[in-house]
Amino acid sequence: MRSGAATLALAAAVAFALADSSIVVLALPELYGDFNTTIQGVSWVVTAYNLAVVVGAIAVLPLAGRVRPAVSALVGLLIFAVASIVCAAAGGLALLIAGRTVQGLGAALLLVSSLPLLVALTGPRPHAISVWVSAGTLGAAAGPAVGGILTQLFSWRAIFAVQAPVAALAVVAARERSAWLVPPAQPGRERPSVAAGVGLALAFAALVGALFLAVLLVVTVWDFGPAKGALVVSALPIAAVASRPLARLLSRPVEIAGGALLLAAGLVALAFLPASSAAYAVPALAISGVGLGLALVPLTAASIAERGDLERSASFSVGARHLGLVIGLVAVAPLLAGSLDRAGDDATTSATRVVLDARIPLQAKIPIALDLYRAFRKAQAGQIPDLAAPFNAHGAGDDPQVRQARDDLLAAVRAPLTRAFRSSFLLSAAFAVLAGLVAPAFRTRIE
Amino acid sequence: MTGRSGLLALAALGLAAVILIAVELARGGASYGSVATEHPCAQRAAFQGGGLDATVQRIVLDGLDGAACRLGTTREQLVLSFSGTGPTHWSRKTIERAVRAGLLHAVDQAQARGDVGSLTAGLLRQVIERAPLQLLINGGAALGGLFG
Repeated sequence: MRSGAATLALAAAVAFALADSSIVVLALPELYGDFNTTIQGVSWVVTAYNLAVVVGAIAVLPLAGRVRPAVSALVGLLIFAVASIVCAAAGGLALLIAGRTVQGLGAALLLVSSLPLLVALTGPRPHAISVWVSAGTLGAAAGPAVGGILTQLFSWRAIFAVQAPVAALAVVAARERSAWLVPPAQPGRERPSVAAGVGLALAFAALVGALFLAVLLVVTVWDFGPAKGALVVSALPIAAVASRPLARLLSRPVEIAGGALLLAAGLVALAFLPASSAAYAVPALAISGVGLGLALVPLTAASIAERGDLERSASFSVGARHLGLVIGLVAVAPLLAGSLDRAGDDATTSATRVVLDARIPLQAKIPIALDLYRAFRKAQAGQIPDLAAPFNAHGAGDDPQVRQARDDLLAAVRAPLTRAFRSSFLLSAAFAVLAGLVAPAFRTRIE
Repeated sequence: MTGRSGLLALAALGLAAVILIAVELARGGASYGSVATEHPCAQRAAFQGGGLDATVQRIVLDGLDGAACRLGTTREQLVLSFSGTGPTHWSRKTIERAVRAGLLHAVDQAQARGDVGSLTAGLLRQVIERAPLQLLINGGAALGGLFG
């Protein structure tokens, strides 16, 4: 394999390993139904992976300096690939969470050891760091959209099934001669920036809002299809990439502080949506995306020491960002679960009001009401029922009154559920503001 | 471009974010999704429309309003309690009494409005006083059937 292709394969594996933090988020409702579990139980599918990456990133530190990075990467890729297959075939939640934990450990090995390999494959250290940071940022930002599309086109198992071949391709990259010969790292005196680590952790805690909550809201609550949902959500990664030319004009402190504040502002805008509409969500996500692009790249780059042991730096950086995700998830999950419980009651009340007041004849109203009741009963596995179907089955296509009743009902259900995300978005915004507070610790300019 | 233009671009983005939030709040973002709790006995606008179907719906909805008022709950919560998904503070007998009383009052109102004649109103009262509760709960269908 030529080194360009090898770099691409390795960068793809890095992107997937970092996307895995969020890639499964849109599959959670399906997993919830398939495994008949609780919200807290299914949230461990996400949390276990991120926690394992944190633990793994710290646990591999003793290996740095003793084992060649290519060997560590190879072992990490193999563990990651096998665990992905186990996850794809898991018949129960316990096995899936176990698979995710092992997958996280493999990802930690891969992520930590991939950085020196990229230096060997791409040349100068700054360029390799740039490839590593960009792959990670793109993977993290695009993860939910990719996972959502795979889940809706195939099933949640497809998310894991596609990762095994990507990891297998990267195995070939790790065996590339220039990468294979990279010696074990020598411990250096350079220490990673603690401020960058704290900022990175807080920024990733905030990203739980932009990555997980926004995607869940748009695709699950608003019931956007895969194409429209991906289009709305892709505002985030597109804006993150588009922000890079602006970043080059700013000093590092301004880039971090400005990015964090924009991320917070986008999250506040998501908290106060006045309608379940892409017209508001897209600009809010785009603002979050610009903030993400501005803040994350310099924080990640600053978390890697300019000289010295790359594996230790990568371990610190990966550990900080995934610790931030775990903190964000642990803080947001119970908050959202509580809000959604109350919002579910409000949505049911609103839906009942709409049906009772609907200006449609009784011959249509009663069967629609009964079908809606059955749909609610059937959907108790944590999924939002297909509330449009009863109206469509009873003339919404031809009868404007039935169609109006359907639209009123969907709006009445979505509004309280959308509002339920508010406190979680605001908490995420608070994390973003805190991340911006580390900005004064950086004085150098990004060239 | 210079660092100054970068700062200007950043400030413009910040301003755009503030404008977006202001527009959202101006369009009801703060209250969006909140479900107003109506007073159980507050007078609602009558169900609009002419003909038999609208008359039946008016009687059923007014009856539910009356029953909910007697129980100190909302019409929606009362309907949800029928399906077992709403509050279940009341015994079946209490609900039955409230629904019958609410529907009887609704028939009185319908007669007063001229929606139904005295003969039909009398028949309806007989049905409401004697019919099983489930028939009253599915009042629309039952009454529609009686008229149809």
